[in-house]
Amino acid sequence: MFRNNYDNDAVTFSPQGRIFQVEYASEAVKQGSVVVGIASKTHTVLVALKRNAEELSSYQKKIIGIDEHFGLALAGLASDARVLSNFMKRQALASKMTYGRPIPIERIVERIGDRAQTSTQVYTKRPYGVGLLVAGVDETGPHLFEFQPSGMTQEMVACAIGARSQMARTYLERHLDKFADSSRDELIKHGLLALKESLSQDKELTVDNASLGVTGVAKDGKRKIETFKLYDGPEIGPLLEAALETSEAAPAAEGGESMEVDT
Amino acid sequence: MTSIGTGYDLQNSVFSPDGRNFQVEYAVKAVENGGTCIGIRCKNGIILATEKIITSKLLRPGANRRIATVDRNIGVVSAGLVPDGRHFVSRARDEASSWRSTYKAPIPVKALAGRLGSYVQAYTLYSSVRPFGITAIVGGWDTDAETKVDGQVGIGPAVGSGGKVDGAKKGGPGLYMIEPSGLYWGYYGAATGKGRQAAKAELEKLDLSSGTLELEAGVMEAARIIYVAHEDSKDKDFELEMSWVSSVDGPTKGRHEQVPSSLLEEAERRAKKAMEGEDEETGSGEGEKMEE
Repeated sequence: MFRNNYDNDAVTFSPQGRIFQVEYASEAVKQGSVVVGIASKTHTVLVALKRNAEELSSYQKKIIGIDEHFGLALAGLASDARVLSNFMKRQALASKMTYGRPIPIERIVERIGDRAQTSTQVYTKRPYGVGLLVAGVDETGPHLFEFQPSGMTQEMVACAIGARSQMARTYLERHLDKFADSSRDELIKHGLLALKESLSQDKELTVDNASLGVTGVAKDGKRKIETFKLYDGPEIGPLLEAALETSEAAPAAEGGESMEVDT
Repeated sequence: MTSIGTGYDLQNSVFSPDGRNFQVEYAVKAVENGGTCIGIRCKNGIILATEKIITSKLLRPGANRRIATVDRNIGVVSAGLVPDGRHFVSRARDEASSWRSTYKAPIPVKALAGRLGSYVQAYTLYSSVRPFGITAIVGGWDTDAETKVDGQVGIGPAVGSGGKVDGAKKGGPGLYMIEPSGLYWGYYGAATGKGRQAAKAELEKLDLSSGTLELEAGVMEAARIIYVAHEDSKDKDFELEMSWVSSVDGPTKGRHEQVPSSLLEEAERRAKKAMEGEDEETGSGEGEKMEE
């Protein structure tokens, strides 16, 4: 492989002002299986494609609930994500302890962003090799954030990271206007359909390889928020069925559209 | 480049034979690719503005703010590596808060710039760290009003150590720009990032050193300058973000705040109009050339 002198550590700038070690860490994110996140005015949803190392092994966990009001989806080095998620769990608890209220999503994302930035500026550390989508609800409503190994965090309306995620992003961009007013069910459907776009040809979404997390503003009741709910295994079956039903009808409609474009 | 291949540019804190630290110069390169940031020192306040390039349609509009409040009366904006900017802001907040706990008063902008300059400079001294990939603009208003300070017990001695000097000038606007080397200067108008050259040229036309520009007029100019500086990267969409600090009797009551959306929209509308006017001028200029 082509070598250059400026990529040995994260504390060396290239003559163009780039930091190659950080860029390489972002490549690790692209090796991970795809995860999708979407936010509406009332809900956020995280959807992930799980991978298994071999036929007889279990599937790698992709979505982690952190506190009652938020969770994350990861793409890249799972062990780095575990370090970060443990840190987030501690911070979320500490916030509840000292302030008596759930930590705002932006605040917790800022914390991991700052932590990741440090590991790009100090020789004794290495950048995290994981990208995260952090989704949840706080006093200001639902939020979705993207976290990158560089320490960059951005609030998004919708986002997809991981292997072949470009196709999912294209889907998200195409349906961007619909997300804000989507219901809980519609948002889940969009999430699953976006994820489906990124599947390689021989793969399909099943109860084994799909994973989904939802949280939102509660419609009624004493509680203000709908607790982060993880759908893993058999529970996701009905959601998959509902989403794939609509997508079965969709190709016909799309075919019609492309015919129209031709004329 | 003369630096490449010599080996003197592979490590931070190492001098080359002609006395340069190339890693710091490379950090400056990271800044030069960042979104344009400007700061204007007006008669009765400070304006900070930045061009935020929209890298994806999926970003939430209006979120992801780049201008940070560091103390009630001080704002910071930076061009370059965004996460480095956040680190810088976090340090600035720590400095401001520690100053408050020591002196029971807000930190003067000049003192904050000094502290931050030293902090950034420290990251050029060791091979175990890298320099900051940002140039930051720090702006604020030091109050000239006689106000009670946090936890004040008495008013202190009238003369002598810790006493007040009659007729001494105090308070007013402060604007500083800190570079990756740790070097900083005070400015009437500061610009950094990709469009800094165009922005500087526009700032120089404003006669800021006379100290006569009103804050509201400054807001209009700041918006226009960001639009002018964006001309060279026209193919990319951007969001304009702007904040201001006025004196205690001004519109922000001595606080660092976002420019209100109504005023921001008005400034953007005028900036776009000014740009259209400029286009027509260059259009006619080309026509003349053809005739020749």
